[in-house]
Amino acid sequence: MIDSALRAFFAFLAGSMPMAAAAEPKLLEPDRAFAFSVQALDERTVEARYAIAPGYYLYREKFKFAIEPGALASAPTFPAGVIKNDEFFGKVETYRGRFAIRLSLEGVTPGKPVVVYAESQGCADAGVCYPPQSQKITLPLPQPGAQPGPAVAATPVKKSWFN
Amino acid sequence: MSARRWPFMTAALVAGVIALLAGAYFGLVDRQSNIVEMRGEDATAVFGITLPDTEGKDQALGQWKGKVVVVNFWATWCVPCRTEIPQFVIAQRDYGERGLQFVGIAIDEPRKVKDFEREVVLNYPSLIGGYGAIELSKTLGNRVGALPFTLIIDRAGRIAYTQLGPIKEARFESIVAQLL
Repeated sequence: MIDSALRAFFAFLAGSMPMAAAAEPKLLEPDRAFAFSVQALDERTVEARYAIAPGYYLYREKFKFAIEPGALASAPTFPAGVIKNDEFFGKVETYRGRFAIRLSLEGVTPGKPVVVYAESQGCADAGVCYPPQSQKITLPLPQPGAQPGPAVAATPVKKSWFN
Repeated sequence: MSARRWPFMTAALVAGVIALLAGAYFGLVDRQSNIVEMRGEDATAVFGITLPDTEGKDQALGQWKGKVVVVNFWATWCVPCRTEIPQFVIAQRDYGERGLQFVGIAIDEPRKVKDFEREVVLNYPSLIGGYGAIELSKTLGNRVGALPFTLIIDRAGRIAYTQLGPIKEARFESIVAQLL
């Protein structure tokens, strides 16, 4: 009887613990809220990848990409986002979670490094917005026909929010 | 474990559960209003700032020293900022004569700030901060450099309150009532 009461207490404790922890308001630094990495799929295609923490989102129209040396051969290819009806800006497309934007490059040299510049801007559901974040990653382009290059993260990630 | 220790254990557990629930409750209260801090540090650094207004004319924040000054870091691209500003316009209208002075610091372009000023009929100055203002706000307690970020300075020139995220109207009213 005492045993089962104690078990119930522990179950209750275990149940209330995550709530207490989750109640602590912790806004993430932007590079953690909007983790950014890139990978060269082939000698002229780079994937810009975002892993957005739960409760945060980025605006599609705020993305900007540039390459150096070389240029973008065409407009970046975006996956379909979620249309949000904003009280001030009307219908805006937003992204949450994990997604990738494909960049086609021209004027680049296979086997050589290339610098990807990315700018993004987003907000947290908690009611704050972050100023546009500019990031820069240098990554190697593979030789034609070779395996994709390694994934390169924008900043050293101290702790993963997803794994 | 002896049977005599059970009441102790149970009491400790009950206390623990109460503490957790209280923590969760107060945590939730805090969560609703985002990050709230009552402070007391000197605002000399804030009053030392000079930034251009939307007409390009330099404005020293020191000119408002002695009033209850509400400094609001905001931007036109920040929806939560735009949402709370009409509430500031009302507060400036209602408490301005009693010594309340709002000052906006926009992380934005003057043209966009001007458009917004007209839209909400802004009755207090909004200075143009640029990205440097985000760094400035970080030194004042804006841990992650997000917007809106608001600080309330008392008449004695101490930072009485800072908040990252929108301020609840009731909370704002009670703080201002204490300081005016």
